[in-house]
Amino acid sequence: MKRHIKPTIGALSLAVAIGFSGQAFAACATDGLPAKLDKPGGFPARALTMIVPYGPGGGSGQVARAMAQAVTELTGVAINRDHKPGGSGTVGMTAYMAAPADGYSVLEHIDDASSAHALDPSRPNPATDLIPLVTSQITFSQVYIRTNETRFKDWKGFVDYVKKANGKATIANVSKEGSMERISMRYLTDHYGIKIQQISFDKGAPRYGALAGGQVDALFEQPGDVRGFLDAKKFKPILTLLKERPAAFSDVPSITDEGMKFEPLLRFRGFYVAKGTPPDRVKWLQWAFQKAFCQESYQKYNEKKFMNLIESYRDTDGTKNLITTTINQYRDVYKQIGLSK
Amino acid sequence: MIENFITGSVALFSSPVSISIFVAGLLGGMLFGAVPGVSMLTLAAILLPFTAHLTATDGIMLFSVIYCSGVFGGAITAILFNIPGAPENAPTAFDGYPMTRKGQAGKAVGAAVLCSAFGGTMSALLMMFATEPIANWAISNFGPPEIFALVFFGLAVASSVGASTLWKGWLSVMIGLVLALVGLDPVGGIERYDFGFPYLLAGIHFIPTILGFFAVSEVFIQAERKAKGTYEAPKVSLDFPSFLEFWRLKFAVARSVCIGFFCGILPGIGATLAAFMGYNEAVRWGRDKTSFGKGNLEGVVSSETSNNAATGAAMIPLLALGLPGGALTAMMVGVFQMHDMEPGPLVFINSAELVWVVFAAMFWANISIFFLGWLQTKTVVHLLRVPFHYLAPVILLMATVGAYAVRGLTIDILVMFLAGIAGFFLRRSGYAVPGIVLGLILGKIGEQTFAQAMQMLHYDVTAYLGRPIGLVLIAGGLLTLIASIYRTIVPKTEPHRVEQAAE
Repeated sequence: MKRHIKPTIGALSLAVAIGFSGQAFAACATDGLPAKLDKPGGFPARALTMIVPYGPGGGSGQVARAMAQAVTELTGVAINRDHKPGGSGTVGMTAYMAAPADGYSVLEHIDDASSAHALDPSRPNPATDLIPLVTSQITFSQVYIRTNETRFKDWKGFVDYVKKANGKATIANVSKEGSMERISMRYLTDHYGIKIQQISFDKGAPRYGALAGGQVDALFEQPGDVRGFLDAKKFKPILTLLKERPAAFSDVPSITDEGMKFEPLLRFRGFYVAKGTPPDRVKWLQWAFQKAFCQESYQKYNEKKFMNLIESYRDTDGTKNLITTTINQYRDVYKQIGLSK
Repeated sequence: MIENFITGSVALFSSPVSISIFVAGLLGGMLFGAVPGVSMLTLAAILLPFTAHLTATDGIMLFSVIYCSGVFGGAITAILFNIPGAPENAPTAFDGYPMTRKGQAGKAVGAAVLCSAFGGTMSALLMMFATEPIANWAISNFGPPEIFALVFFGLAVASSVGASTLWKGWLSVMIGLVLALVGLDPVGGIERYDFGFPYLLAGIHFIPTILGFFAVSEVFIQAERKAKGTYEAPKVSLDFPSFLEFWRLKFAVARSVCIGFFCGILPGIGATLAAFMGYNEAVRWGRDKTSFGKGNLEGVVSSETSNNAATGAAMIPLLALGLPGGALTAMMVGVFQMHDMEPGPLVFINSAELVWVVFAAMFWANISIFFLGWLQTKTVVHLLRVPFHYLAPVILLMATVGAYAVRGLTIDILVMFLAGIAGFFLRRSGYAVPGIVLGLILGKIGEQTFAQAMQMLHYDVTAYLGRPIGLVLIAGGLLTLIASIYRTIVPKTEPHRVEQAAE
């Protein structure tokens, strides 16, 4: 029997944590931090290693490169990126947990680490088993159709089409069951009582190609990943999975506009250091990574990737809150759909 | 078009900076492609941050030249030492290395040079003619059902490569298919065959497997011969293939250009599958299927023509649609973004000059491969004069570095040595290591696209009837299977087979 997800309105609200960016970073979030911080006991005396649990070409690889560049610009300390892709981030996380907690190894990871812990508590909890340095990208999801689509023009039309298709309509999505994308789609289909066939693509290019080539009817994705298609007017968003419309998509309905009451799940990417790292080193790394967020090169990168539409910055405590909230929400959902007890 | 090409060529060669970048990319790609452990991707990753200081045109041009020369570079070590410099060159080793053992290294390297240059040049020309229409046609007509059908078509012939009997050929392919199952399943992300060992969740990567089955097992085999006193060093030959030999292979070359180009334009597929599919088709249409995997020049020609034909083609979805076909083209997206640009339809409108400089650079890079490659043929083949006891440790070291460099995982080194030991025993008992590698590579792509196809077709296999391209490929694959089984069951009566049996 299909289990429906009950919206978790009473839970600690992610909407509180979202925060819409105002005047396009007239004042950057970490402008209050000191411009320089002495290296504690000479740390770091050599290059840092950043373990990235995904390949160099994707969103994680790109943000790792941008942050490493910003930290190096700020501090002069080189950062070597060590990509260890596989197992939806599990391999990189496992390798990182085996590295010495001396501050020379840092980890990039995304919200998948939180959902993995929610599903299997033996997996590390990024909020408590690691020390978050900074969250530097937070974004939301949208549903896209082709701009030249004739069968439906907007979200309402799409829902009508899906109902009539009786399970035959298709949407390109990621493959992993229990992922942010799959759970979000479940929220949508539960709300309308509709069935839609999700086609599993684990790489971006074939997923976008499937929509561009008419192999699928719609696409579930985050705006920064398909910005090129949006600028070229090949794709258009028909639903934003946020409670409010961000200014850049003011003509696209939000879930609230469409009468949905669930808490939207967010995609976030951040940087961590191992628990047990000497506190003075942690403090320096927190300063370096948080301050680097405001480096011009990093801000330009985030803007290019549409990561400035909602507030993308969280410091250590902010990241812990974000992760804890996210884990609680995933746990509720997984229990409801029978993925965990 | 010609006017645009001339304009692009003039822009490319009118600036000393652009010429320097072109030459550096050409030589760097060849070098990094040829040395196992590093690849053109390593070079591209190192250079990526520096492209911010170049113009957008020079940055993209540099990457496209590295792509062309890097795909070629890996053929040399594949042929001489059984170590493919890059995954795109793995099928080149299937027949290239046996040719080296037979004293035909010069011929194999020469064929690789000429075919790489020819395949790449043809691809660059096709790219110039019709980038946008081809890209739109590919994504509209080639979805997961068709890609699965293509993989099935390729797998159907995989059992014919290198095994002593059809059944051993199929068992080899099945081993590869089973290895492809390790890791997360491509549909629901379910963990499979990890035995509680998290690193296995990343799956068995085909690069360490190839290095193990080919390079490591070869070192073991030669070491055993050395110990027994039966070792014979490969003869060094500098013979370039004759025009007549190439003329005999004209259909194989034309077919491989088409296959390479076709695989290249499919987003997410790229040059590796192109090389394997090109090789498979050589086997399917070859007069003597049993000669493949044992030093058939057509195998080298097909693999190298296909992988370089895929380079120009892979630029088509990237430039026309913003869809990278592989890791290097994904990095090119990064170069575009560093210059506040996005690849896609607007590039042709907003940056036509950039596009034509890139097209011209790829064309001239492939022409240059011919001349530089010819020089390489006359020089690097002499590496075979190095005595085995010096060469073997270097091969093992390079293979170890190569296995680790792919994902930075120690388990890949373990996989490589296990594959080496397995290959040592499998090769002497008539099983085909190329079949295992084909099963591993095609199995991963095949499983994923089959699952996607079933989701798209609502788990109704008969829906293939409404997709003519997929239907033709599936039917072709089935016919190949039936024909190979028929050939095995029905006794052979040809005179030369009888003679062989009598021996």
